Amino acid sequence: MSEARGRWAFARRPAGARWASAGRKAAAVGRIAFRHQLAYKTDFALRGFFLLFILFVFIQLWSAAYGGDFEKVISGFTLKQIVWYLVFTEALTLAAPPVCSRIEEEVKNGDVAIRLVRPQSYLNYHFSVFSSEALTRFAVHLAVGSAIAWPFVGPPDFGYGWFGLLALSAGALTVTFLLLMLVGLCAFWVEETSGLYFVLQKLQFTIGGMLLPIDLMPEWLQRVCAWLPFQAALYFPARMGVQFDGELLTRQLAIQAAWIAVLAIAVNRMYRRGVTKLHVNGG
Amino acid sequence: MSTADKKIGANARFVWTSWKANLASAMEYRLSFLLLAGMMFVNNFIWLFFWRLFFERFPVVQGWDLRDVMLLWAVSTAGFGWAAMLFGNFSRIAGIVAGGQLDVYLTQPRPVLLSVLVSRCSVTAAGDFVFGIVVYLMVGDLSPRGMMLFALALLVSGLLFISVMVIVGCSAFWIGNAEGMTQQAFGSFIALTTYPSDIFRGLAKAALFTIIPAGFISYMPIGMLKSFDPGFAATATGVAAGLTLAAALLFRFGLRRYASGNTIAMRS
Repeated sequence: MSEARGRWAFARRPAGARWASAGRKAAAVGRIAFRHQLAYKTDFALRGFFLLFILFVFIQLWSAAYGGDFEKVISGFTLKQIVWYLVFTEALTLAAPPVCSRIEEEVKNGDVAIRLVRPQSYLNYHFSVFSSEALTRFAVHLAVGSAIAWPFVGPPDFGYGWFGLLALSAGALTVTFLLLMLVGLCAFWVEETSGLYFVLQKLQFTIGGMLLPIDLMPEWLQRVCAWLPFQAALYFPARMGVQFDGELLTRQLAIQAAWIAVLAIAVNRMYRRGVTKLHVNGG
Repeated sequence: MSTADKKIGANARFVWTSWKANLASAMEYRLSFLLLAGMMFVNNFIWLFFWRLFFERFPVVQGWDLRDVMLLWAVSTAGFGWAAMLFGNFSRIAGIVAGGQLDVYLTQPRPVLLSVLVSRCSVTAAGDFVFGIVVYLMVGDLSPRGMMLFALALLVSGLLFISVMVIVGCSAFWIGNAEGMTQQAFGSFIALTTYPSDIFRGLAKAALFTIIPAGFISYMPIGMLKSFDPGFAATATGVAAGLTLAAALLFRFGLRRYASGNTIAMRS
């Protein structure tokens, strides 16, 4: 009887205590994920090399497009702004850990069963790991990207730009996480998600503004992009980083919040439906 | 028939049989094959969409226009496509060596490198190959001369992809686990073959035509297809042939250092 009362008392814990407990678990998982990353220094170095390489190629391409003219302004961007914009979008893109393939692997090899019985929500667990890894990687990639952009086009003296970039980056990474989860959770139905991930990645590259600021795209495409969540994941923070605008920042934060709400509901529903489809044999 | 002729004939039959077996294996999962190849086609198409947006804003960059970049993608993707379909293991040499998986090839009475290369067919590469051909049919010169030059461009680019990656992969004979490094080199080399060579200047451009010979692929639309430059065509062909020979010799040399890890493996 006393045991039953104890269980009932646990279930009826105040919402504040439950949130605090969930927060502590998320922080603990985040700390473990952070330490886990430090063990893979070679992985960091290889990604850093790729970032340096790809930014070098982009600098060459855009310098050729601007004819090496640092004063020329095209659609509101100077060469220096374009290069730093690309540093920010690349740093954000490469910051996202491969959530889709992890979920796919968990479903394929049955590890998902272990995750589901843990005293932490499956979605929260992945979000904790993602946040920890993404924030660390983002900081490292910003440093690596700066190391190549600075000597070529000069320092990132964009006023409050850094504040704008950081203010929008947390929301941007959350939108990225939710988009990746939408694709990753498809593994509950189809197992193989690499094709869908590929398409999502390329959509981020193009209409998300990773390779080309949305301002430089034709007007019809800009109107299409305005109705999609991809711009909130890359374009918003990167553009704010090179062209700070207080009013626009408030509006973009609101748009990000709206997309996070919509996508979080979609992810939650998808997870609830997907988990009922799951059959784990052995493991 | 001399012994050498018999050997060549036997190797040719072996290669042909391997290709047929690879194709049959890929066709076993037809839907998966079509999906993966289709996905690569869409992936390349999105890149061209980016270039279209780029050239709408900057119509000519260092003498290159959209058509030139489309030809560049045709040469790079179709060249990579045939190489990875027929010799699919060229990008995996380092992993095979470091993992001790060469044992299974050493026991066969065929040239080891050839045997390794033909034992895999990259399914996604079919999408690359078809994409390259479709793009060439859209913007290329469809006269017999133009088609022959395109075929030569594909031969050169495919050989460059294979030889460069085999050379980089051979580093595993000396430094052991070089998989991460070779994958980065693979990604970087492919990326360099898809950007116009003329956007690079100075040392970077010199490197593109020497230590990282991706420039011989990325200059192909200008030097071979748009206005035929015999000097460039001869150099590119010579470099591709030379690197292919160098890759085969380096693999042979590296094989002497190979130590088995007693891995029990099967050819799949």
